[in-house]
Amino acid sequence: MNAELHQGAQAPVAADDVTGPTRAWRDRLAGAARVGRQAWLQIFGIPDYERYLAHAAARHPGEPLLSRREFYLASIDRKYTGRGPRCC
Amino acid sequence: MNRLTSILLWVAIAIVGAASFAALALNRGESVNAAWLVTAALSVYLIAYRFYSKFIADRVLQLDDARVTPAVRHDDGMDYVPTNKWVLFGHHFAAIAGAGPLVGPVLAAQMGFLPGTLWILAGVVVAGAVQDFIVLFTSVRRDGKSLGEMIKMELGPIPGSLALVGVLAIMIIILAVLALIVVKALTASPWGLFTIAATIPIALLMGLYMRIIRPGRVGEASAIGVILLLGSIFLGRTVAADPTWAPLFTLTGTQLAWALIVYGAIAASLPVWLMLAPRDYLSTFLKIGTIAALALGIYFVAPVLMMPQTTRFIDGSGPVFSGALFPFLFITIACGAVSGFHALISSGTTPKMIQKESHMRFIGFGGMLAESFVAIMALTAACVLDPGIYFAMNAPTAVIGSTAAHAAQVISGWGFTITPDVINDTAARIGENSILSRAGGAPTLAVGMAQILGQAFGGRTMEAFWYHFAILFEALFILTAVDAGTRVGRFMIQDMLGHVYKPLGDTEFLPANVLSTVLCVALWGYFLYQGVVDPLGGINTLWQLFGVGNQMLAGIALLLCTSVLVKMKRERYVWVTLVPTAWLLVTTLTAGVQKIFSSDPAVGFVALARKFSAAAAQGTVLAPAKSIAEMQRVIFNNYLDAFVCGFFVLLVLAMCIFAAKICVEAWRQSRPTAHEIPPMMGRDEVMA
Repeated sequence: MNAELHQGAQAPVAADDVTGPTRAWRDRLAGAARVGRQAWLQIFGIPDYERYLAHAAARHPGEPLLSRREFYLASIDRKYTGRGPRCC
Repeated sequence: MNRLTSILLWVAIAIVGAASFAALALNRGESVNAAWLVTAALSVYLIAYRFYSKFIADRVLQLDDARVTPAVRHDDGMDYVPTNKWVLFGHHFAAIAGAGPLVGPVLAAQMGFLPGTLWILAGVVVAGAVQDFIVLFTSVRRDGKSLGEMIKMELGPIPGSLALVGVLAIMIIILAVLALIVVKALTASPWGLFTIAATIPIALLMGLYMRIIRPGRVGEASAIGVILLLGSIFLGRTVAADPTWAPLFTLTGTQLAWALIVYGAIAASLPVWLMLAPRDYLSTFLKIGTIAALALGIYFVAPVLMMPQTTRFIDGSGPVFSGALFPFLFITIACGAVSGFHALISSGTTPKMIQKESHMRFIGFGGMLAESFVAIMALTAACVLDPGIYFAMNAPTAVIGSTAAHAAQVISGWGFTITPDVINDTAARIGENSILSRAGGAPTLAVGMAQILGQAFGGRTMEAFWYHFAILFEALFILTAVDAGTRVGRFMIQDMLGHVYKPLGDTEFLPANVLSTVLCVALWGYFLYQGVVDPLGGINTLWQLFGVGNQMLAGIALLLCTSVLVKMKRERYVWVTLVPTAWLLVTTLTAGVQKIFSSDPAVGFVALARKFSAAAAQGTVLAPAKSIAEMQRVIFNNYLDAFVCGFFVLLVLAMCIFAAKICVEAWRQSRPTAHEIPPMMGRDEVMA
């Protein structure tokens, strides 16, 4: 829910007169772009702030949120400290 | 009808595969096209995946999608995330593919293309993919636990601690050998060194960008980083041609070794956001990009293999590494066939992201097949080179001397005709002064890739660019591994020191941090320095030590898998893990024992040390040492290498005994005794 709102805030404001098939296509494209972006972040292990926001909204509503910077720093800190060795 | 199509399809794949093998193996004298090699490999992968991995998934492990995976149970939006099967395959592959599958096959090419190919393909199907798959499965059924924790759970606390010490020892050796590869590639190469040095300010800039200017925008920062990197390759050519700048970037091996040691200590002490994280992203993008480019290059160019099927060096007299095909081929090619390090990845981040149990077949087994394909491509790139060039690049100075004329004479004497002009011309084409004795895989692979990519994209004029691009990609990956590995090593050392004296284990205590960082860097730095100054040793010694260690780790992981299968009362399928375990133990123990006790000084550490001792006692200086002091160093280092090797051998024997005891106990039980999480345990119920 929150993620939807968040995405909406970044995307250019949708014109209200667009309805029907055009709108459906645009939604589908936006959905595909979101999935593609998420996949790319996950493959390369890049911290995904949008997913964190969605997760926090769904599971822990009302709790204080980390800022984008705090989330990024905390994520890479966890990634590189105390983790097992990586591959050759 | 559908079933009939399926049968026809798989019969067709089997026939294509068999025909490709026939083309590779039955060929006499003429050159073989690399397309046959690639086709043979792909057919093996397809058949192994379709049939063997299905058998393991359905019968041996009995994967069950009704069971809750750790990702679903703990779903925290950060580490535990149920992830799409294809996406996770990409993530897992990016984590397991590294320098290993690129280096081992290149070294093994001295025996010809066939032995390496057969071992990579047989090894991956029987051992490597099975290990990755079953370790992943074991970890998922244990809430995403790490290999060390699982050994502790299933085999007991003593084997758990032993395994951790073994992992630390293997890490020290691999950091040294990786750093040595960088030294070999960059010695007296101002163009290469400039581009690698440029990655430091580029990474710092990206780090600051992602922290201060645009927090967390990894994509933007990486795009800037990649553009600057490519720019630095072009700038490197100008720097190398400049009379004032070139000498500044022309360093000797010893200078580079010290530079790397100091770099490692400083880099591992910086905050991760400043250099490690940005460089890791750059390195991962470049790695995936390069592997993709190499695959496309081989596909479009379909180069001809110049290396013979087998060479005379299968008898153990090879200049790149000494030792006969059995057992040394099987420890030289580790990653790509079977790699113990994967057991650490398969019990690291991947099990925390598995959405459904059935996905593990594709991710664990399939991911390893993809890595094996990278090894096949590396072997191809080494074998498309003129064998004379291959040996000029990989034989040590002690054997071929330091001039093109002498090298050409020695190598032609082996039956691989080459002229000094061809050697010099190859160096000139890739923009280097010399290509002699650049062992370690990276430079050879880079020349092979430069020829393949040059033919595919950009022609001969671009070869120098592609060569330095390939060197940059490997060095970038290795420097990131040195940084991250030193941090992990420090953490492990601190953990152990904490058992001796409590305050030393406190990660917030600065003197303890500094002490363990220095200790870790000193350990791998020692082996690195030894490798650089020892004209006999170097890659020759260290890569085999690493191979023995890495395969032993695989042996330990497979012993764990075997014990788990017995504990699950799946004894009738225990051969699935027991066969590869037995093979790994036989090859690595034979190799380990030969490395220590062989009476041939080219193979045995102790024999070489004795030979030098005897000479030193009579006051004779043996080449390549130049003084009695250097002789003493050779003696000491060989005893040390023998000690490390002996440690690995004893470690794996001890693990064998522990595992056998556990298996016998579990065998006698009438019910399963594995420590799995109960099938229906849902979210947050096991938050221990």
